[in-house]
Amino acid sequence: MKAVGRWLAEHWITIGSPIVLLYVWEWASASGLLRAAFFPRPSTIVDHLRDLAVDGTLWGHAATTLVRIGWSFSLAAILGVAIGLAMGLWRRLREGLDPVFAVIYPIPSVLFLPLVSFLVPPGEIALVVTASVTSFFLIAFTTTHGVRQIDRLVVEAARHYGATGWRLFAAVLLPGALPFIFTGLRLGLGFALIVVVAVEIVSASRGLGALLWLSWQVLKVEDMYATFFVIALLGALLSYGLAALRARLLPWVPDVGDR
Amino acid sequence: MGFAVPMGALVLWEIFSRLGIVSPRYFPAPTTVAWTLADRLVAGDLGGDLLVTLTRLAFAFALAAVPAVPLGLLMGIARPVRDLVEPYLAFIFPVPKITLLPFLMIILGVGEPAFVLTGASSAFFQIVISTLAGVQTMDPRLIEVGRNYGAHGPRLFWKVILPAALPAIFTGLRLGLGLALVTLVAVEFIAAKSGLGHLVYRHWQMLSTPEMYAAFALVGGLGLVLTRGLRALQARVLTWQEDIGV
Repeated sequence: MKAVGRWLAEHWITIGSPIVLLYVWEWASASGLLRAAFFPRPSTIVDHLRDLAVDGTLWGHAATTLVRIGWSFSLAAILGVAIGLAMGLWRRLREGLDPVFAVIYPIPSVLFLPLVSFLVPPGEIALVVTASVTSFFLIAFTTTHGVRQIDRLVVEAARHYGATGWRLFAAVLLPGALPFIFTGLRLGLGFALIVVVAVEIVSASRGLGALLWLSWQVLKVEDMYATFFVIALLGALLSYGLAALRARLLPWVPDVGDR
Repeated sequence: MGFAVPMGALVLWEIFSRLGIVSPRYFPAPTTVAWTLADRLVAGDLGGDLLVTLTRLAFAFALAAVPAVPLGLLMGIARPVRDLVEPYLAFIFPVPKITLLPFLMIILGVGEPAFVLTGASSAFFQIVISTLAGVQTMDPRLIEVGRNYGAHGPRLFWKVILPAALPAIFTGLRLGLGLALVTLVAVEFIAAKSGLGHLVYRHWQMLSTPEMYAAFALVGGLGLVLTRGLRALQARVLTWQEDIGV
């Protein structure tokens, strides 16, 4: 009880300010101070959120988005870690690919949709591949950096003790790069959400991004806010949840180089 | 050596496209794209749309940076401000900022203010967070030393805290500019009727692929110049600091 009291005394502003803000919003919107057409009352937004959840609309769209995030993240993770490791190990490959990556990486991933839709069947596959582009580069970059930052002395010592080839890789290089790989994966997952939602806004008829965009087009403002809330919740879950998961599962792996 | 791989890929693409091994309709030869790029940049829409995107980017970046740096610093030195703002920062930061576009279009109408503010929002949160981190991660011994030499209040801030946070602020501005560009081009692709992002969209819809690739390459070049250029600037201006962040 005492601990709770102390915690509240420490954090009362952080806890209190959103509550106060919601009440002020509710009151201002109800009294007409804020235009309810733009800023509907939080209580009506909650009603709409419940309606969307009860009739199943929300779950359908959320499930679609989650499946897409899963596919594009897996694609980005497998290719990103593999190519990142290879680039970390072989200098020639790194020198060859670096300029290519440097040009492609700053291009917003949504722009890849036309290109990708020429290469693979348009629709679901094109969407997933497009959404994995940014995450792939991010994971490949961090993995390469993770291999490169390993202390040369450690590698030398391992060589002296007879570790070569596969053993050197599995026992020294991979564990050494692991913290960076995890950071890359965490950032990559966050970006997979961002790009999946963006591509859904552009081209999909299902998914949370599409739901947001369709709600805008028919001016269902309450549904827009409700969808936004769900997307934000998903974002918080993915970015903070994954950090907590790593801290629990891999407590010996330090978190490195957050942007 | 470093440029052998990209050059080789381009030459292969050229040959394949010319021989019709890949469809030149979807994958026009790089020389065709380069010719279109040069031609349209001087005489056609490409130059104009490049200017539109750059103007939007300048406004978005200024609108983000001017309030974000003071807010981040204030959050760093005043605990109540940090407590007040942090929940909203934590809630909005992981959200794709493009989702703010429909809200801004409802409130401000479909037009430049909504487009520019969407771009600004993505830079704003990054700059606040980097600036705050810069103040929070500074060596506490620096403040101790400053205090011992008699620096308090504004003097401590201007002489010790701000210089120590400067590299993080610069990193935040650099990342913020990149994010603003990414978000703006996506906004143009989705909603605007001008700018490089819209060009890619329009030429995709019309299947005028050489123009599409030209606009695409221009966006890549712009991103490259901005990220590399600012990184070089940072290394020059803040020579005494090692680079932090990605």
